[in-house]
Amino acid sequence: MNEDSTQSHFRDLSAACRELLQSVGTLYEAANILQPPILAGSEWYELLRQKLLPQLGSDAWLVAAVVGGTNIGKSVVFNHLAGCRASSTSPLASGTKHPVCLVPDGFTETHQLSEVFPDFQLHEWSDADHALRDSDQHDLFWRTASELPSTLLVLDTPDIDSDARVNWVRADAIRRSADVLIAVLTQQKYNDAAVKEFFRKAASEHKAVIVVFNQCLLPDDEEYWPVWLDTFCTETGVTPESVYLAPADRAAAEELQLPFYERSWPVAEASISPDKRSRDLRADLSDLKFREIRLRTLRGSLKELLDQDSGVPSWMQKMHLASEDLKATSDRLSSDAVMRIRDWPVPSSSVVVTEIRTWWKARQQGWARRVNQVYDTLGAGILWPIRAARNAIQGEPVEPLVQYREREWSAILTTIEELFDKLQWMAESGNDLIRPRIEAVLNGASRTELIDVLRKRHQTVDFEAELTTIVNQEMDRFSIDSPDVFAFYRQLHNVSAAVRPMTSVVLFSLGFGPAGETVVPFVADAAANAVVHVVADVAGGTTAAVAGDAAMGAAGRGAGMLQAWFHQLNGRFTERRVNWLTDSIRREMLGTLPEDLQRAAAISDSVEWAGVTERLVRIEQLLQETA
Amino acid sequence: MNEMPASSGKSAGRSPRKTSGELEQIALLAQIDDLTSRLNEWVAITPPWEPARRARALIRRLLQRVDAVRFRLESPLVVATFGGTGTGKSSLVNALVGDDVSPSGRQRPTTTMPVLLVHRDLEPESLGLDLSQLTVRRVDSPVLRDIVLVDCPDPDTSETDRAGSNLAMLRDLLPHCDVLLYTSTQQKYRSARIVDELGDAAGGCRLVFVQTHAELDEDIREDWKASLSGAYEVPEMFFVDSVKALADRQQGHALRGEFGRLLRLLSEQLDSSRRIAIRRANLLELLQEAMTECRSDYLAALPSVNELHDVLETQRKQLRESLTEQLTDELLVNRSLWERRLLTAITDRWGFSPFSSMLRLYNGLGAFIASFTFFRARTSAQMALVGAVQSARWVKSRAEEQNAASRLDRLSTFGISDQQLQESRVVISGYVRSAKIDLDSNARSGDLSALRRTAATLEGEFLGDARRAVDQVIDDMADSQSGLLRRSWYEILFLSYVVFLLGRIGHNFFWSSFLAPVLAGATEAEPLLTVDFYIPALLFLAIWSALLVVVFTAGLRRGLRQHVRTFAESMAGSTVLHGLFPSLEAACTEIVADSEAVSDLLERTQSFRRRLAGTSPQLGGRRKT
Repeated sequence: MNEDSTQSHFRDLSAACRELLQSVGTLYEAANILQPPILAGSEWYELLRQKLLPQLGSDAWLVAAVVGGTNIGKSVVFNHLAGCRASSTSPLASGTKHPVCLVPDGFTETHQLSEVFPDFQLHEWSDADHALRDSDQHDLFWRTASELPSTLLVLDTPDIDSDARVNWVRADAIRRSADVLIAVLTQQKYNDAAVKEFFRKAASEHKAVIVVFNQCLLPDDEEYWPVWLDTFCTETGVTPESVYLAPADRAAAEELQLPFYERSWPVAEASISPDKRSRDLRADLSDLKFREIRLRTLRGSLKELLDQDSGVPSWMQKMHLASEDLKATSDRLSSDAVMRIRDWPVPSSSVVVTEIRTWWKARQQGWARRVNQVYDTLGAGILWPIRAARNAIQGEPVEPLVQYREREWSAILTTIEELFDKLQWMAESGNDLIRPRIEAVLNGASRTELIDVLRKRHQTVDFEAELTTIVNQEMDRFSIDSPDVFAFYRQLHNVSAAVRPMTSVVLFSLGFGPAGETVVPFVADAAANAVVHVVADVAGGTTAAVAGDAAMGAAGRGAGMLQAWFHQLNGRFTERRVNWLTDSIRREMLGTLPEDLQRAAAISDSVEWAGVTERLVRIEQLLQETA
Repeated sequence: MNEMPASSGKSAGRSPRKTSGELEQIALLAQIDDLTSRLNEWVAITPPWEPARRARALIRRLLQRVDAVRFRLESPLVVATFGGTGTGKSSLVNALVGDDVSPSGRQRPTTTMPVLLVHRDLEPESLGLDLSQLTVRRVDSPVLRDIVLVDCPDPDTSETDRAGSNLAMLRDLLPHCDVLLYTSTQQKYRSARIVDELGDAAGGCRLVFVQTHAELDEDIREDWKASLSGAYEVPEMFFVDSVKALADRQQGHALRGEFGRLLRLLSEQLDSSRRIAIRRANLLELLQEAMTECRSDYLAALPSVNELHDVLETQRKQLRESLTEQLTDELLVNRSLWERRLLTAITDRWGFSPFSSMLRLYNGLGAFIASFTFFRARTSAQMALVGAVQSARWVKSRAEEQNAASRLDRLSTFGISDQQLQESRVVISGYVRSAKIDLDSNARSGDLSALRRTAATLEGEFLGDARRAVDQVIDDMADSQSGLLRRSWYEILFLSYVVFLLGRIGHNFFWSSFLAPVLAGATEAEPLLTVDFYIPALLFLAIWSALLVVVFTAGLRRGLRQHVRTFAESMAGSTVLHGLFPSLEAACTEIVADSEAVSDLLERTQSFRRRLAGTSPQLGGRRKT
């Protein structure tokens, strides 16, 4: 494959990665309720941001970084590379707190350093001690070094194992950007867990690693270092490009006169006497095959990005599992989440009858209407003393609708109480994703608030109007459907006498559909999405009422049918009221919780999910083409 | 010389020290016994609260460990090395013992199996360590006279603590150690893993800080000390070259300098006379740390309990207020009842007199008429007014009725409605949940009847209070209305008519119709008064007395409103014994008391520890809070 096509492939990859970053962000937002692993700080995401985006599609410069544990002489090695005291050294641990970067001449004119190191505040180097200062923001001090090859950046980094953990974050960021790692190891630290963890990541990103064993006791350690390096390589998976030994010579280190002895790795069979000539680290670094290493690390990082166990797929897999889990929980919950409110009140028959009479009268004309009016006036006149006497004895009777309001409030409270119980149960038996959301609804303060709001809303409901609406609507329908409307009217009292004072209402707590139903209503259907929706709308007094219109035909004609119809009228009213309640509960109590749950349970079907998958496939394809 | 852990075989030559040691031990045992028995008492009773249960589980575990330690208070101290790989733990141990007993080397890690070094005279089984996990070496070294040394594996080469790893082995050993020799180097003294591990290990241990590799490294003790001083007390740090020290010892040179100081510290500060003090300090530190943890757990959860408590309090107050308000309204409506009660009270005070008999007559008549309507009355205000016997009966019947009757039938009667009950239950159970109180109480939903019963008792109590208050009001009013002046005024007014009437009748009877003709020579006797006279006379008597009664009672009414208001204030001011959720209220109180108990125990442990401070000034340890 020629240079140009590789270049263009990498430009495509760069674009694809940019898109991936974006689509991952949207997926993260969409999957919020699943609490996906946080992006910032996760290895692949930071690789994408810190390595791939700045470097893909750009020309081939190389980042070399000196890395290692605290107080083992990273800065000493770095200063040898720089040829001057560019980074301050100190006998005390975790001295270097911010990276120092040597930039070749002219590099800053052709490149934006802030894009190369996106997480750092850049400062031009003025004093070696600046990198020792403690500060919360990530600083990076850079200076030009004319001795460097024009495409090589060399960095000194903070440590990877001290108790100042912010140093690790900075070192990790530099490690991701880097192509070449100059691993400073010592006898005490080569097998430390923190060091091994760090280099294991570097190895999986295919970084070129140059090992420098510092503070060696020569010549005693000549026989030990192969054992050390062997352990190090087996534990981390690093294959070093080259190996150097540096003696424990504090004075030489201070004077920048520390010798670096190169050693061959793996150790040759017939080991001749060790090389005593010191090598120039900078020269050796400049001799590296830049382009090759660059391509290798980019591919390595892309592979990490696509890795099933640690890349984007694993992130998505975690999310997918969470969503499956959520779905399973929700299914299980919904099968137990049916609430049955047994004593939902029905308005007193007399009110309904009065309402029907009013409807009837409004539709009569001429003579009949006048007769009615006469009878009404007459009736009122005759009944007045009786009513007055009754009032005097029993006290003013409570308005039936006022009474209904009271009763309904009771029923609402019962419903809410049961709903809270269900939610509590869900919070206890559901998974960790739902719990915090539900807990927020369940605490005492929000309960008080809910009851107050509902009470206020409930007190403003105009039941008279509600009833009128229903009666008008139902009577209109009835008068069109049935010729028996007059018979019904005549028998109104008989019919209404049989109405039971309460009905049962069935609700679903979280809108995941009825018990045992396999298909979860994911569709954006208003009814299905209703949080708490009335299913068998109102299981009224008789079977006819339950089955509604269908049963009415079967009941035939006559009183039975009329009675059923009256029940249905009541049923409609109840339905309307229950809908009012569910609507209120949804608005005041649950908010978007049910939809969020549904969306989260179906995350792998979402557009955002598809977007990420699509980009991953594209990157994979491009990566294979460059190979 | 080594002592066996049990006090059996001590040499007679050391009897003075033995006696003082024994006394000291007894004193210590008594002190620790006192603390542990307090803790045991505290552990025995658990309020129905999650943090309380957690805390008790923790302390229970710890108490077991305390018991275990108490059995081997006198066995030699277990001194263990602790530090990163390559910091010269084994070299230090070798130098201390004066012999190559634990392999040291340049390969990391060198020590993978912990090495236990004990004196030849000591049976290692008595130490309570799991010997199968240790390589035991019996060495005849003076430093082992009073202590045993454990060369531990490092905490920083293992990435996880899976079984068999150095970290796992170390963590198994650490709880058995009394003193840690914390070694570090210029390279490692800030290593996060070691610092973290020390944080877990240092509880209940004395610490000795040693910087090794003096031959190669610079002295970083100042910086090391500074980085540790936030969490630890660092009285002293040693900077040693173990290799040279070992060579010196093997060549028989006297040990000087830092290593000599370290060795002196180990032999002088950890000898048999100090064991008890050190173990005691360790135990107390453990207890204190555990109690501190419990307390912070408590403090974190306590606000929500207090919140629940406040809500219960508010509800109780609201309940009382609404009951009072309702009662006040009704009391103002029932004026005739007031009058009856007042009249009765006043006539009782006046005893027998013409006017009071009159009042009694009217009162009885009124009561007779009222009994047709009011004794069947149902409002509690009337009941409160009617008085004790009646209202007791009423409350009882009401409680029964509340269970029996459908809840919807009671909506408009006085009292706490079902809705109120439900609302407060919904709200309270939310707070209970946040407070993490697990009480199987009537805060649970489902059946309202238990709550109703509580409400009925509450109402009963309230009405009892109200009745007493009403009695008081009536007494006050009766007192103010039955002053001598007022009374005589009415008596005179009433009697004046009666006297007039009697005079008139007497005059007619004795004089005009009888004596006048005889004595004064009147022409003829007047006739006796006839019915024509008596009817209007009685009528006017009735009118006059009625007038007086009306005026009197009108006087009574004056100030009634004011009195009822005072009554309402006195009712609202008085506290109700309990609210709707007595068991929750009890739980809240219990929890608050329990958290005070925790603070108290912690305070005790702390002051105990403070009293003991300075028993081993040269040893470091976790900073006292």
